[in-house]
Formats: sequence, structure tokens, C-alpha cells
Amino acid sequence: MKKILLLTAFLAIAGCSSDDDTEYQNLPIDYQVPSNFPPLVYDLSRNPLTEKGFELGKKIFYDGRLSSDGTISCGFCHIQSDAFTHHGHTFSHGVNDASGTRNAPPVQNMAYQSQFFWDGASDHIEMLSMAPISSEIEMNGNIIDIINMMKNDAKYKQLYQQAFPNAPIDAEHLLKALGQFMTVLTSSNSRFDKYRRGETGGALTVAELAGYSLFNAKCATCHATDLFTDNTFRNNGLTINPQINDVGRYRVTQIPQDKFKFKVPSLRNIEKTAPYMHDGRFFTLEAVLNHYQSGVGNTENLDPILNTNGTLGIALTTEEKAKIIAFLKTLTDEEFLTNPKFSEF
Amino acid sequence: MKKIFLAVLAISTIALTSCSNDSKDDTTATGNGSLKLEFDNVYGAADLALNTEYTNSNGEKVKPNNVIYIISNVVLTKADGSTYTVPKSSSYFFVNETDEASTLITLPNIPAGDYTKVKFGIGVDQAQYDAGADGQGDLWTTAALPSLGMTWSWASGYKFVKFEGTVTSTTHTDAPYKVHTGKTGSIYNYAEATLDFPNNALVRTNITPQVHIMADVKKIIDGTTVINFEEGLDVMGGTKVQQIMANNVPTMFEAHHVHND
Ligand code: HEC
Ligand code: HEC
Repeated sequence: MKKILLLTAFLAIAGCSSDDDTEYQNLPIDYQVPSNFPPLVYDLSRNPLTEKGFELGKKIFYDGRLSSDGTISCGFCHIQSDAFTHHGHTFSHGVNDASGTRNAPPVQNMAYQSQFFWDGASDHIEMLSMAPISSEIEMNGNIIDIINMMKNDAKYKQLYQQAFPNAPIDAEHLLKALGQFMTVLTSSNSRFDKYRRGETGGALTVAELAGYSLFNAKCATCHATDLFTDNTFRNNGLTINPQINDVGRYRVTQIPQDKFKFKVPSLRNIEKTAPYMHDGRFFTLEAVLNHYQSGVGNTENLDPILNTNGTLGIALTTEEKAKIIAFLKTLTDEEFLTNPKFSEF
Repeated sequence: MKKIFLAVLAISTIALTSCSNDSKDDTTATGNGSLKLEFDNVYGAADLALNTEYTNSNGEKVKPNNVIYIISNVVLTKADGSTYTVPKSSSYFFVNETDEASTLITLPNIPAGDYTKVKFGIGVDQAQYDAGADGQGDLWTTAALPSLGMTWSWASGYKFVKFEGTVTSTTHTDAPYKVHTGKTGSIYNYAEATLDFPNNALVRTNITPQVHIMADVKKIIDGTTVINFEEGLDVMGGTKVQQIMANNVPTMFEAHHVHND
């Protein structure tokens, strides 16, 4: 991880000095998988990370001109200090203040994820950006207009040329640049990570360690690995809001067994990403733990793990809940949340 | 379209005659030429005319008003069994009934030779999905053209087949129906068809064969799997889409004849 950080600092400097240099030499980014992470899902060989690819992706991510009203960028709903969520918004609102019915999940460690969106509507880090850009509720952007805008913008022309020499400005390279930016958005330096890698700054308190054991016993079947998801879709017993009746994975597959199943989300930076669940129904981690303890409903396709011989939910004492929450807060990665390299300005 | 069909028949008779004169062995053929695939949509035994009523085997009466499908990954096979694969990056085509130009696909840079069959996909294949944006060029931009509307936002991808119109059945009168197929979750629903040419396609530097393909769009909804719009006007996922792509779509194409001129 140190390598990435060093590169980061270097990028920042190189970025400023080379702005007008058309002879600029694009440099590869030496991306290292943190040792406590599962392997990358994203095949970077088809889209090798480079400084300029990242820079182009970042410019696109923060460009409101991708939306039909010129104001809504990806970064509008995915805010860095909130682990790239739309903090405080149960439902994200997009162009014309149209409101969706789902809570914006964090954009972090995406290159390790095989399923995107709450229902897995996309399974590729590059292809996923087609959804928000075309969505009437999110950006309502027209890809044809966006590509034309970029072809007529001096800065974009330069960046595309530097990032993808001899390639056209087209949807393929727009998606690749966003893929590069999101890949570099790696959160791997929380106190928990340092603990797992035996690094300095990785001391966990007795309560936090107890919380970690409890978590492994009660939660880790679904929230698996150090990224805290097994990339599957499950129903964790949320009662159904009849007004929205979000059918989850069923929307994508129309297979009855997928009704009310949602992607098991990563829990990294969970302290910063309230409200919780696909519809943002819980505002605190306490409310989430209370749900698992006593709020689980026996809805269609409830995960069998949450139904032991008719007893719904997970047995948790007040003390255990507090310890699990203490543990969850060790997943906060300040370095990621404040890294100037990822920020809009 | 009927007139054209008749004319085509007439020409094909000539073509058939001329092709027997032409079929020297192709070992002598060198250089590159082109080949054209013409997709002629029909509805059962009739030429397809949009907004015209057709009756299906289940008694439902449909009036199609929009028929678009993606043809992809074209592979041509020569008489000696060798194959030519059209480069993937230039092998996605949108065939749109309302845009006549789109129904005639020209494949350039084909090695000269006598070709006996063509294989193609309907939709976007798993290899392309695995590759993400890589090699897609302007596929999204094209699919997003308002005249096509072939991007599928709920699956971050493409509609493979779009077949829309209105239906009259027991409880519906001219109600709009929509059949959209594409990748649904982890099921790719990519279909393939292999068509034997009734006579060889003789690609030469100076001959561009045109393969006339009949595409029976009735089969999309009324084939091995029969879609009853009575059960739902929108078919956009689940087992119905899987069955359409697995059972019906691969059988809807037929290479009717080849012009070698
Ligand atoms: C109007 C707010 C809004 C905008 C603008 C927006 N998003 Fe999102 N984003 C969301 C919401 C809401 C979801 C969850 C949607 C769902 O699951 O159906 C989401 C989901 C995602 C995910 C999936 C994360 C996961 O873990 O599955 C990624 C990645 C993402 N957005 C990236 C982007 C990018 C890149 C852009 C710009 C091209 C963008 N978003 C623009 C609100 C927004
Ligand atoms: C049966 C699998 C399963 C188990 C066991 C499980 N979870 Fe979850 N968890 C999920 C799913 C699925 C979601 C998303 C549900 C939704 O939004 O519809 C989720 C959501 C969450 C969220 C909200 C995340 C966000 O970004 O909004 C938190 C926090 C959470 N779980 C913590 C826990 C804790 C702590 C435990 C153990 C006490 C636990 N989970 C046990 C499957 C599980």
C-alpha cells in the first residue's frame, strides 16, 4: 500500500506540471493488491491503469455535464468523505430532483466486486456506468451528446489522447477511464486492515477484538472476507415496504426464488455510510443490530441462516451488539476518506 | 416487400443457373472481397409488414410495430472447411425493420473463396461481457440512438431482440406488448444460428455475393416456446426470455439463396 501512496503523491505533482505538455509521457500505475484482500475480480490487463487514465476517469466522475441538466455528476451522489455515498439521503435524488427508491452504496474497492448495484444489475466495473448515465432518475444523460461534448472540449481531447493514445474518444474509453478511477478508489488502510497485516497502528482494543470474534461467528457467512461480502444476493429479513415493493434481484432475473434478495454489501467505512440497507431505512448501526436481533421478518425467500427452526434473527445481547459496533468502527479508513487525490478539487 | 420477394426469386433462379457456370474450384481464387448478408424479416408464410395483424397458433392476434435485433460474431465457412471470423470489434450489427439500410450487412476484407455456410450470434456474447468495455468501441453509442433504443439499463447492457407491437387476445384489445431479451442476471441468453447456403457464395475480388436470409420473426413468440400475452404483456426476463433465446431465436433464420454478382 505504501507504493500506492507514494505514487499518489507523485501523481499529484506530475498532474499539475504536465497540463499543457502534449508530449507528456503517460506512466503506468503499479497497483498492488493489499495482502489481506481477496484477489482482484477486475482483469486489469484489458485496461492497464495509468496516471492519465485515472485522471481522465476522475474528471468524468466529477463532471456535471454528463447529466441532462448539466449539474449532476457521479460525485454528486457519491461523496468522498462519506465513502462515496450520498450521506444523509435515504434515496438519492438526481436530475430535476427526481428521487429513486434506493440508497447509494459506497464506491470503494469496486475492482474486487463481481456484482454491482443492490440487485446485481451489472456485473462489470466498466459496464456499470451505463446505468447511472442512462437512468432517467440519476443522470438522464445521453451518451451521444456526452461523447460529442468531450470531442469538442480541449481538456478532454488532450486527456483522452494521453490516456489512450491513438484511440478514439468513444464510449469504450469513457467507460475504461471510469473503471480506472474506481479501481484506484481502494480503501485498505483502516485500523482493522493494519491489524490484519500486523502493521503499526493496527492495535484493536479488547472490546473491538471481542466484537470481531462475534462478527465472525454471527455475520461472516454473508459478510465474508476482509471485504465483508460473499458477492451473493440474500434476503436478510427486512420487512417489505408495500409502497415501494422493491423486489431486488428478481427485477433482474425474474426468477421467483430471487424475490426480495439484495446484494450482501461490504461493511467497510460503515460508520460513515448511514443510512443503511438498500432503502436506507436504518439511520444508526444500533438500529441495524436491533434488526438482526429482533426485527427480522419471515418474508418470501428469507435466508435460512436467519431462521433456525422457526426462531428468526440472530441471538445478540446488548453487550454483544455494542462490541460488534465497536468492531465495525475499526473499518473506518480516514486515509481513504480524506485522500486529496480522490477529491473533486 | 412482396414484389421484392418475387423479384428476388426471379433473380435467384438466374443466380442458380449462373452459379453452376461459375463454380470453378476456389483454390485459384486469391485476394480479398466482400460478402453481404441481407436480413429479410417475414412473419410465418408472409412478408413482414409492420402494423399488420397476424394470428398466432394460440389464437392471439399481434400487430408488430418494432422489430430490432443484434447480429454478432459472424463466422464464414469455406467448402474446404476452413473458416473466416469477422473481427469481433466490427462484428456487431443492429438489424432494424424500419431502417432498410440496416438489414443489409456488408462484410469487407473476406478472403476470396467458395463459402458454404455462415454462423452468427443473436445478441452480445459472454466473452464480450467478460471483456467489459474493451473492444466495444461505439456499441453503446449506437445502441443508445433513439431510433434503436437497444440499451438495457436494468442490466447495464443491451437488448438482444426487441419485438414490440399490440395484441388482441381474450382480455386485450390492441394492447401494447413488449418482448425484450438480453442477459438476465448471470444467464447470458446469447443465441447462435448456423445457416447452410443452398448454393456456394463465391467471394472474389470482383464478386460480392449477397446471402438472402429469411428471418421469421413470428418464431420469436410462436416457436417451440409459445408466448401467451394473455399471461403478461411484457416479456423482459425470467424463463420466458431464456426459452425464447434458447428455443425460438436460433431457429428463425434460413439462408434462402445466394446471389453471386
Ligand atoms: C442521483 C444519484 C447518483 C448519481 C448521479 C450516480 N449514482 Fe451511482 N448509485 C446511486 C444509487 C442510488 C445506487 C444504487 C442503485 C441500485 O442499487 O439500484 C448507485 C450505485 C452505484 C454503484 C454500485 C456500487 C455497488 O457496490 O454495487 C457504483 C459503482 C456507482 N453507483 C457508480 C457511479 C458512477 C460511476 C456514476 C457516474 C457515472 C454514478 N454512480 C452516478 C446514485 C447515483
Ligand atoms: C444471511 C446473510 C446475512 C447475515 C448473517 C448478516 N447480514 Fe448484514 N446484510 C445482509 C444483506 C443481504 C444486507 C443488505 C440487505 C438490504 O439492503 O436489503 C445486509 C446489510 C447489512 C448492513 C447495512 C450495510 C449498508 O451499507 O447499508 C449492515 C451494517 C450489516 N448488514 C451488518 C451485519 C451484521 C453486524 C451482522 C451480524 C450480526 C450481519 N449483518 C449479518 C446479509 C447478512
